[in-house]
Amino acid sequence: MAFNLTRRKFLQSASLAAVALPLSEAIASETSIQRSPLESTGSFGDETVVGGVCEMCFWRCQLVGKKRGDRLIKLEGNPKSIDNGTSICARGNAGIKLLYDPDRLKYPLKNVGERGNPKWKRISWQEALDECGTKLKQVHEKYGAQGLCMFPHGSSAKYPMHFMERTLGTHNVSEASFYQCRGIRDTAYLATIGKAPGENVDMPNAKVIMLLGGHFGENVHVSHIKRYIKGLENGAKLIVVDPRFSASAAKSDVWVRIKPGTDTAFLLAIMNYLIINKKYDEEFVDEYGDGLEELQAGIKQWTLEKAAAECDIPAAQIKEVAELLAANSPNVSIHPGRHVSWYGNDFQRQRALACLTGLLGAFYVKGGWVPGKGPKVGAISWAKHDHGDEHNLNMNEDEERLYPYAPPGTPTELIRDAALTGKPYPIKGCVIWGQNPIQTIPGQDKMKEVLKQMDFVMCVDVMPTDVTMWADILLPEVSYLERYDYIKTGTQWDFADNHLQFIAPRMPLAEPMFERKDQVYITNEIARRMGFEKEIPVSSAMEMVEKNLEVAGLTLDQVRKEGGIHTRPGKDPYAMPEDFEVLFYNEDIEDAGFPGIPTYKPTEPPPAGYTRLLYGRVPVHTFNRTQNNVWLNRAMPENPVWINDELAAKMGLSDGDTVGLVNQDGFSSRTTTTVKTTPGIRKDAIYMAHGYGSANPLLTVGADAGVDDQSLITKITVDEETGAHGMRTNFVKLVKDGKVLDIPTSA
Amino acid sequence: MQYGMIIDLERCVGCHACTIACKAEWEVPVEFNRNWVYRMGPSKVGNEIAATYYPGLCNHCTEPVCVPECPADTEDVTFTDPKTGKTVTMEVAATWKDPFDGTVQVDKNRCIGCGACADACPYNARYVNPDLTDDVSEDGKVDKCTYCQPRLQAGLEPACVQTCITGARIFGDLDDPNSEVAKYVKKGAKGLEAEGGDLGPNSRYIGKKKDMALLFNSYTPELADMNKVRRRAMIASLVKPAVKQLQGLGLLGAAGILVAKKLSEDK
Repeated sequence: MAFNLTRRKFLQSASLAAVALPLSEAIASETSIQRSPLESTGSFGDETVVGGVCEMCFWRCQLVGKKRGDRLIKLEGNPKSIDNGTSICARGNAGIKLLYDPDRLKYPLKNVGERGNPKWKRISWQEALDECGTKLKQVHEKYGAQGLCMFPHGSSAKYPMHFMERTLGTHNVSEASFYQCRGIRDTAYLATIGKAPGENVDMPNAKVIMLLGGHFGENVHVSHIKRYIKGLENGAKLIVVDPRFSASAAKSDVWVRIKPGTDTAFLLAIMNYLIINKKYDEEFVDEYGDGLEELQAGIKQWTLEKAAAECDIPAAQIKEVAELLAANSPNVSIHPGRHVSWYGNDFQRQRALACLTGLLGAFYVKGGWVPGKGPKVGAISWAKHDHGDEHNLNMNEDEERLYPYAPPGTPTELIRDAALTGKPYPIKGCVIWGQNPIQTIPGQDKMKEVLKQMDFVMCVDVMPTDVTMWADILLPEVSYLERYDYIKTGTQWDFADNHLQFIAPRMPLAEPMFERKDQVYITNEIARRMGFEKEIPVSSAMEMVEKNLEVAGLTLDQVRKEGGIHTRPGKDPYAMPEDFEVLFYNEDIEDAGFPGIPTYKPTEPPPAGYTRLLYGRVPVHTFNRTQNNVWLNRAMPENPVWINDELAAKMGLSDGDTVGLVNQDGFSSRTTTTVKTTPGIRKDAIYMAHGYGSANPLLTVGADAGVDDQSLITKITVDEETGAHGMRTNFVKLVKDGKVLDIPTSA
Repeated sequence: MQYGMIIDLERCVGCHACTIACKAEWEVPVEFNRNWVYRMGPSKVGNEIAATYYPGLCNHCTEPVCVPECPADTEDVTFTDPKTGKTVTMEVAATWKDPFDGTVQVDKNRCIGCGACADACPYNARYVNPDLTDDVSEDGKVDKCTYCQPRLQAGLEPACVQTCITGARIFGDLDDPNSEVAKYVKKGAKGLEAEGGDLGPNSRYIGKKKDMALLFNSYTPELADMNKVRRRAMIASLVKPAVKQLQGLGLLGAAGILVAKKLSEDK
């Protein structure tokens, strides 16, 4: 802290700053006052260290660190970045509070209590690794590789995941980023345009931007937000489809206050209107489309009126949206979304979004869906082996996939059901790496049962998240600021600018403290103990990055000299690939037993007295990973429940009231939060931010702060085509002063 | 010259990057903020629904109400115009408005930590940091946004401006008609004036009509009761070791000082 600085030290650093920055640049008044040694000096005079790549979320902005002695004082956007520039978000700025969080895991720990109610004993790495190696090997030998499962998250989990999948040969890996987030989007677009869409819409150059549930501003990824705001500034009209007046709705030209779960009906009516009135891009569809006739025939019942009734919005508004899109096609950004595991009918909705983009001719054109052309780097990891599909839970006896459009890995429910029934085989070893399945996956009790029946559970994490309470061995990982791993690549965010590409390998900005180790060390040591020493692909994380850079003709030294980011000329992103097509009708989907054209499947409405639980994001938190960060906690310490103001008045609720929640299955929230009454939400839903209300007492800041929405998502819904979860199918009542309040349904 | 900051609410997405960057840059204690972001709404504005943000910070007012309240000893301070090199010497207490760049600053050497300036500010832009103690004050020192004056002196932007992810914070000289900030003022960027006050806040906001209405209707800063502020300041100045010999306070006498001490201890 500044107040520990002696005057002498202060003067030293002040003079250093003066040397670094010529006085001629001074643009503020100078005074004769000698600054107090109590005055914080600011980080700007401190040493700059380059090569940081953020992982407060998965967007991975490029960073520089400001270092005073051994200590990082501040993180900033790398001025050499053509992605985030000098900007980073609140979470990025708060990274140093993760780095130095006193609650962080420091040493390998062994649970000498019971799972879920742990007593931790500090052990040596030797002992910890021996235990992990021995126990995993035992499971492997007794039950086969399929007896092991893994719940990974984040860039450091890739390397151990590949060891589990490729070397050991288990299919039983469930990535939250696929099965509880974007997997449905990716496979729906793959089945329509042959590519996973990312969030690749050229918003800066769009005339219309349409978001379905996207709540940018509450959901923040820096260059993505730059694209969005630049688009609005350039005059794009914004259509926001959301039951809630979200941060994006507040900036919209058209807010479609849609009934939850009916989005597909809305999209089908727009497409039907465009086709009937010949307002779609005929030239594009002729050239690149396939199956328009089937689509037309299949959605013809979706008149504006029918959709209006289903979606509880005016028919005129659906027409307004359709007209706006048609008038501005093809320069329209139909955003593919990201977290799309909502209602269990999501694959079809994502297909509809891709098809609508196709009808508007909005692929590879200004303002449309345009993936940038980034550089290639290596992806060295454990060698692939064919382990066959005999133990693939997603394969039936006829070798057909149960969920034919499942993203990579195995659907979470298949893994959990096998673990709980022992059929078709037992799953007895569990590796959890960076994921918190307790607060990520619906059905907390089910998850706990799965973990209870394991022979061995190991967790690797930075923080003592809730799931770490279920570990037998808990290993402390270095954070993204203390390790090599991911290489971020991409292009400049505005395609109207000069085409550039960049390569930014993650390099450590600080030395690891305590006994924290990285993913390559931990995985290799376990692999060695399981008898796979010969398979080890790299001896260190640095070597891995060095080899991956080699593919791009680079070295770490060179990138470091270039300021942490290598930038080079890029390519025109608008060039249409030769074999590009849009499958409005997909025969394979039909052959697999599902509708071959995008089809609306209604979701169950709230039962009498209940309302639907919707959740989303706040800009200062990433999932459940940042609630213990003291700066971010202070910014938004809890997650108020949004409830319609008229409804609240009928129920006698006021702003700031303390409430708990109870769901349709009788599960109550463990903690309470406050009420936010607003006209900005429909009456058939309430809303809260996801990721709060952790239970692990070792999180001295984040535990019990707000309510854990996941604890109220006990009814398990699975998307039929993909096996991914739908998580907006649960219903709640509010509890105030111990009294359960019915939601007036016909309000 | 008058530095000012425009916050373009059409660009602002309410992400809080500005507040956290400031905390890191100036090592602001967890429980305090030199700047802040409050979400306003969604609420009804006329027949419309609106939601926006109040990203607040010190307004470096044209007529700051905080500056005259400082009871600390005055000192002759020489200010140098960054453009012309011209100097001016003024007698100032521990907080002042800079005659050249228009920013409002604090001298922590002389601040007695009484909090009078913080009480006087209608925007809650100042706080007393209790960790900063020295011979002059055991109660800490007042702190606030400086518009990052030390960074400006080093040729850098304010930390909040540098990190802003959408370019919603625009900083510059309001007195220069060609500056971007002056252009925003012409387009209608407005400061949040205290009710009945004439402070001339130089942090200004611009946005959609309904958003501006929401911000200006829901956030109405009020002038402090100066009698209370002054009484507290006077008491504080009397019991501090670096006592300022205020003219006209002699009539309090020794008994008065004792009373003041007692009051201070009761607190």
